[in-house]
Amino acid sequence: MGLAGDAPDGEVVRAVLGGEVERYAVLVRRYRDRYARYAARMLGSLDAAEDAVQDALVRAFDRLADCREPDKFAGWLFLILRNRCYAEQRRRQREGRPLDERDDGVAAADRPDGTFEQAERMQALGRSLGHLTPEQREVFVLKHIEGLAYDEIAGRTGATVASLKMRMHRAYDRLRDLMKEHL
Amino acid sequence: MTTGYHPLVKRLLDGELSLAELPPELRAEGEEALRLVGAADRAPVVLSPALDERVMAAVRRHGASRTRRAWRWLTAPRDVEVRLRLRPVVWAGALAVAAGVAVLLVARHPAPVEPSAAVSRTRIPDSVLVRFVLYAPAARHVTVAGTFNQWDQNAAPLVRAGTGGVWTTTLALPVGQHQYAFVVDGARWVVDPAAPAIDDGFGRRNSMVAVTPRGAHTL
Repeated sequence: MGLAGDAPDGEVVRAVLGGEVERYAVLVRRYRDRYARYAARMLGSLDAAEDAVQDALVRAFDRLADCREPDKFAGWLFLILRNRCYAEQRRRQREGRPLDERDDGVAAADRPDGTFEQAERMQALGRSLGHLTPEQREVFVLKHIEGLAYDEIAGRTGATVASLKMRMHRAYDRLRDLMKEHL
Repeated sequence: MTTGYHPLVKRLLDGELSLAELPPELRAEGEEALRLVGAADRAPVVLSPALDERVMAAVRRHGASRTRRAWRWLTAPRDVEVRLRLRPVVWAGALAVAAGVAVLLVARHPAPVEPSAAVSRTRIPDSVLVRFVLYAPAARHVTVAGTFNQWDQNAAPLVRAGTGGVWTTTLALPVGQHQYAFVVDGARWVVDPAAPAIDDGFGRRNSMVAVTPRGAHTL
């Protein structure tokens, strides 16, 4: 079937570049939620994450001819989304606006395994992440929320493992200070 | 101001040590640190189902406008100067300057010429022959990938010219600007040191070439 949803990324990218624009929907379905959590935790809200993912997917289409390795579309799209998240954070810093308050998560107390204390700590951590630098926040999100190892984060972001660890360790110290009422 | 975590506690958080491996005096600090990272919200985030249609609506608009722009560009009349004396090959850079030097060669694609006129109006050629040359004596396999072949690493192999380590291929490229890079042994991306490179926006460098109806040149 020509529009098979399980076609490899590279095949879909080449088809889109060849004029089959509708096949881009395969990539949209495939990646719309995969990076949503990263964007939500980086930007602090579901609305901001949705805007960022949407913009990244449209921008990826506009620049698809620049995708050097179509078989690695996922990593390329991640970099576009990452740039978008960083740009949004820089814009907010210039405007003196903090990250959005968390409005997307289901409070832990509402979850079967949640406790009130755990819910408060989770919300406090969400707020505290907004006080880290974007680089520190990103490494925390990728390691402790997305569950990636340092070498995997290095592969995605282009940073060295040593510099990632340095950012992470500074983030630990900063978070300890910000979270002292909740630990 | 709270003091920072002990380096061993940071290694615990990094997953390099277990709580039991910490010295006893650091275990309470380790437990506190684990509570901190344990508060990370790992719940999946699902975006609105309407996002797909919004993206595809934008994609259709952008795709259509791109096609219209390309069509207008291709069909717009232009004055093209065609000289009677055609230089067969123009070298765009020096070869064998140093190890690892890559040179882009440009050959003018023959265009219809009215022999009696020094300048005439003619149809713009669809493509121009561009020769790519890479000096890579240790390479076993070299290709060139770029926007002109959707970055397909296998579409345009270079062939070794003699025994001097020079690899070359000639491609007919459409008029326009193109980004490219060489791929050595299927794994190593090499920008053309004889051509300016630009950041692709994602931390990598691509070489640039501009192909015009009158030839090609590096940007």
